[in-house]
Amino acid sequence: MAEALNIPVGSTTAGSIAVAAESTVATRMSAPPSYDVADFAVPHGREEEWRFTPLERLRGLHDGTAVADGLIRTEVYTPAGVTQETVGRDDPRVGRAGVPADRVAAQAYSAFEKASVVSVPKETVLTEPIRINLHGQGGTAFVHQVIELGAFAEAVVVIDHTGDAVVAANVDFLVGDGAKLTVVSVQDWDAKAVHVAQHNALVGRDASFKSIVVTFGGDVVRLHPRVQYAGPGGEAELFGLYFTDKGQHQEHRLLVDHNAPHCKSNAVYKGALQGDDAHAVWIGDVLIRAVAEGTDTYEMNRNLVLTDGARVDSVPNLEIETGEIAGAGHASATGRFDDEQLFYLMSRGIPQVDARRLVIRGFFAELVQQIELPDVEERLLTKIEAELEASI
Amino acid sequence: MAFVRVCGLTELEDGTPKRVELDGIPVSVVRTEGEVFAINDICSHANVSLSEGEVEDCSIECWLHGSSFDLRTGKPNGLPATRPVPVYPVQIQGDDVLVSVTQES
Repeated sequence: MAEALNIPVGSTTAGSIAVAAESTVATRMSAPPSYDVADFAVPHGREEEWRFTPLERLRGLHDGTAVADGLIRTEVYTPAGVTQETVGRDDPRVGRAGVPADRVAAQAYSAFEKASVVSVPKETVLTEPIRINLHGQGGTAFVHQVIELGAFAEAVVVIDHTGDAVVAANVDFLVGDGAKLTVVSVQDWDAKAVHVAQHNALVGRDASFKSIVVTFGGDVVRLHPRVQYAGPGGEAELFGLYFTDKGQHQEHRLLVDHNAPHCKSNAVYKGALQGDDAHAVWIGDVLIRAVAEGTDTYEMNRNLVLTDGARVDSVPNLEIETGEIAGAGHASATGRFDDEQLFYLMSRGIPQVDARRLVIRGFFAELVQQIELPDVEERLLTKIEAELEASI
Repeated sequence: MAFVRVCGLTELEDGTPKRVELDGIPVSVVRTEGEVFAINDICSHANVSLSEGEVEDCSIECWLHGSSFDLRTGKPNGLPATRPVPVYPVQIQGDDVLVSVTQES
């Protein structure tokens, strides 16, 4: 394997610690995860986890020069029964879902002042989504958000990012046993925004977690969704959709750490790119530890390159420490428009412009349908249409 | 076009690139085959400093993956790089080497 995975310290059996330690320390170039920014060296750009990222455009988030001088207007809409609190870093829920895995995440963890915690009590089934709207008003900000679902609770959370900001964030999802959480994170930033965030999901026994990441805006967006299981039987679905325009850098790095038996995971990320120096990066890491027997996992990335000058780096990685699994696989493909599909549609009397729209709508449809919130879906389709105006 | 002095001509050893920074742009200045060239120092494929590479046949090689770039045009001669690296005009005045990064040549 070219790249080993970052394995958090502390596992369920002595055996798996030994195996994990062997397979990581030898091949991993970076420091192990840590809450303290000082444990990470300042990246120079050739490290495995930074080699695709334009460090000079991160506005100092990676080297400690960024100063928290910004403002993000935050609105949280919570349906009845849901509580929202602002807590200090000593709150036990803060940082429990996962440990920062790189310097920017650790910087965010070391620098945030107050964390926001949204909690859904056990057995509460919400019929309306929780909405968290973050509107950047310029400047730099460090954010920590926790979303906690009690046992057998069910909720949908929409986190919407708009405006202009330089943000480093950690978002924790604590999904209780048997609970069901759907998260939609929309990155609809203004053109100059920089957004680097780690999403940590800790999925309880027989719980399910669904994450849908939608990235359109920003100068640099680098998201790092990570999943771990707190017990057997958990299920995680990671979906992503991105539209990368001229000059934009959009990077999604996933890690599913199968650290418990009989868990499932499925990742599907799809992107379209257009314009000079549009750059999308997708890294899909799955680790199946020795204890994780009966694991079923698949990950897929698809990229549609609409014009010359765009670039995609797509790297799926699978590290398997047990053979007693139900299934494991990955796939990645990057290509241009299929002329035959266009020809077929045009031969049925559909003008070229409409045919291109149809093909792209079809390409994204399976992901858009996953959202199941009509207003977000509608906004997304409008956004895709608007983006296409530029290239059609 | 603002030409800026980057070094003396005698400071440049034939075939050994010199890295300088002009207006925040990293530039590799190369003297080879009796001429002086200025090329953007970052490979168009990955974040690698070209001045750490070798100069041969009027091109500079990126040591990490082996693409080499023509010093006159900035064009890569092979994969994995597919896009050119900017090149900048050079003037020699007496013993001084001047480079302008305000406009690509």
